[in-house]
Amino acid sequence: MATATKDTIPAHGVDFRAVTQSAPHFSVDRDALVRELSLAIGAVERRTTIPILGNVKLEASDFGHLSITATDLEICLYCRCDAEVKKPGAATLPAKRLLDYVRLLPAGSLDIKFGDTQWASITAGRSKMRIAGMSVESYPYVPTSGNAICSVPLKALARLIGRVSYAISMQESRFTLNGALLETGDTGLKMVATDGHRLTLAEMGGSGIPAKNLIPRKALVELNRLAGAVPLDAVVEIATDDNHLFFTVGDRILAARRLIGNFPEYERVIPKGFTGCAIFNRLALRDGLQRVRGFADERSRAIKVAIGNGQVSASAQALETGEAEDVVSAETSGEVTIGFNAEYLIDFLGSTEAEKVALSFADEKSAMQLSPVGDGDSRYVCVVMPLRI
Amino acid sequence: MDAFFVSVEELFDPSLKGKPVVVGGKHDERGVVSAASYAARKFGVHSAMPLRTAYQKCPQAIFVPGHPERYKEYSGRVYEILQRFSPRVEMASIDEAYLDMTGTERLLGSPLQAAHKLHQEVKAATNLNCSIGIASSRLVAKISSDQAKPNGVLYILPGLEASFLAPLAVAKIPGVGKVMNQKLQEIGIRRIGDLAAMEERDLERRFGKWGLALAGKAHGEDAGGWFDSEIGERSDPKSISHEHTFGEDTRDPVRLEATLTHLSEKVARRLREHGFRTRTVQLKLRYSDFTTITRAQTLPEPTQLDIDLAEASRKLFHDHWNSRQTVRLLGVHISGFTADETQGNLLDGGRSERWRNALEAADKLRDKFGESAVGLGSGMRGHYRERVQENPAALPGKAPQKPA
Repeated sequence: MATATKDTIPAHGVDFRAVTQSAPHFSVDRDALVRELSLAIGAVERRTTIPILGNVKLEASDFGHLSITATDLEICLYCRCDAEVKKPGAATLPAKRLLDYVRLLPAGSLDIKFGDTQWASITAGRSKMRIAGMSVESYPYVPTSGNAICSVPLKALARLIGRVSYAISMQESRFTLNGALLETGDTGLKMVATDGHRLTLAEMGGSGIPAKNLIPRKALVELNRLAGAVPLDAVVEIATDDNHLFFTVGDRILAARRLIGNFPEYERVIPKGFTGCAIFNRLALRDGLQRVRGFADERSRAIKVAIGNGQVSASAQALETGEAEDVVSAETSGEVTIGFNAEYLIDFLGSTEAEKVALSFADEKSAMQLSPVGDGDSRYVCVVMPLRI
Repeated sequence: MDAFFVSVEELFDPSLKGKPVVVGGKHDERGVVSAASYAARKFGVHSAMPLRTAYQKCPQAIFVPGHPERYKEYSGRVYEILQRFSPRVEMASIDEAYLDMTGTERLLGSPLQAAHKLHQEVKAATNLNCSIGIASSRLVAKISSDQAKPNGVLYILPGLEASFLAPLAVAKIPGVGKVMNQKLQEIGIRRIGDLAAMEERDLERRFGKWGLALAGKAHGEDAGGWFDSEIGERSDPKSISHEHTFGEDTRDPVRLEATLTHLSEKVARRLREHGFRTRTVQLKLRYSDFTTITRAQTLPEPTQLDIDLAEASRKLFHDHWNSRQTVRLLGVHISGFTADETQGNLLDGGRSERWRNALEAADKLRDKFGESAVGLGSGMRGHYRERVQENPAALPGKAPQKPA
């Protein structure tokens, strides 16, 4: 039986190395198990073609921990909770079936005991269940630690993610756009995402080792979920190795495969010379656009935005459906009428809390820029390419 | 239109009138007959026959090269007239069209009156003869117009379709070619009437779905094939292709590349006319010994730009061409269409916008001055004389040939 000594525990303070191959036996608090399983299950592929990836790996260690590992080979989540370990070991169980069952159990302790045949018996009060697992040896190995590049409050990082992630491309043909660029440096963190039609860029304070990393979309989604499950002051430590990114939050680690490739030179894309600008109430335009978009062409989502003379108007017409127009008062300079995909504007207007936003433009063919007004001093812009109308 | 290409050639050179004329190229050239005059047809010359065979059958015939731009011009003029007679016009080929005359009686009078008026107006506008068949279905209308040739009008009264068709040879049915005709002869079916007398189920058992369509056709219905849609209904193309057979087989890479560029320009132009973008480019390569390969590539992003298609087809060519072998034919085929994007691109530095503007201007020039008015420099050496078939074997080119 392999055991780990204190001095071999890695920097993160968590030892996730395989403890043993023997069948484990442990007791764990139902609430703690449900909490950690619910987080880990984010990494479990729903329709996987590799059966073992539908399972979570459970490891009971001599230190009184139960570690839960879930992966789809793109990202991997490690979670941990206290357990009363009667016999250390590792095994796997179907993630969804396990969670669905223990979620329905009343609060209290439950006992999980694996036999030699991959089967586990779960006992809680007067409830009993037997469930088939799969060999832990076929469970993939994903590393958990690398070289640290920075530490930031997780909530602040989640806010950054919320500001850029909606612009990540859904098309798989350009895979480097299927994630967001995270740039770290002395002056702070910067995150950028684009799908070729729009680009979002947001910054936050902090300091780190200068580096550029592409984080896949799925990892950003899971980071956001983690942020919802931790206290306000929780800190995330970001580390990398050649192929992975590691986000460590307390006892939990999210490992993600780095996207390797060239991200567009975003600073060149952000327009410089504007000829006009409109500043208006964010919610007023968002509500107006939501009313109007129902009349936009279904495929292009095209709406017409006319700016000038102290107002911004949004209108749409569908030949066989009808038409709609909404007008919002604004401080304007210059005039323009531009076509846009309504969703692109609505996405931005929903991604900030600022009361007012500014829309800067050059002409109806050039990219325009949206940014919140008076929202602290951290930069946040959304650049949108128009539609030809 | 009666002997359309020849008639158009006669307009430009009246001395050809009444003589055996073969349109398509010189008598000793590689290639096929595009059209033959009635006088030449008497010698057994027909379209799609190799030019050299036509020369053997009728050595005294006058061989003239085809002038596709002339035919398109005249086809366009006729199309304009047709549009005055019905809003629903379907150009079945460069010289054949169907008109749905439903509801035009009060404006144009009885079908026969309307047909005579149409006949006169076509003659007045183009000085060309045409034949018109009138019937309750496209199938019978087409067959009756064939029977009306030359320069006639034939009206099959509703109810008499079957008795009109019965004595005609089965080969008159569009879609019944050499092979099908042979098969039908084998089971003793010679006339359309014989076919009509067959049990539908029998035909279906023998020939499958096509047998069922055949049964319908024997009764004068628009059944199966390219008669499935309404007249004048635009059906979007699923693929577009152009190919070129070299006058002499070649392995000159510059010439081959130029031809690919030119073919790419032609497919891209048609793609833009339809307002699509494409994702899949396929190369067709035939060597002198007639071995033929096709190789396809899917583009990372849909495009409608000449240069993107040219680049893809040239790459396919270089990846697969065995440069020791001479090439007889090259073709570029595109498929996998998506609607044209109106969304501007943020990351290409304005490239697609500049090309769009340039090609829009180029297409306007081509509309005005002809297809060869402007093109990519790398495709210059790839230009070839365009050939047009009067009655293409595989029909349904439903959209009108760009009216001039």
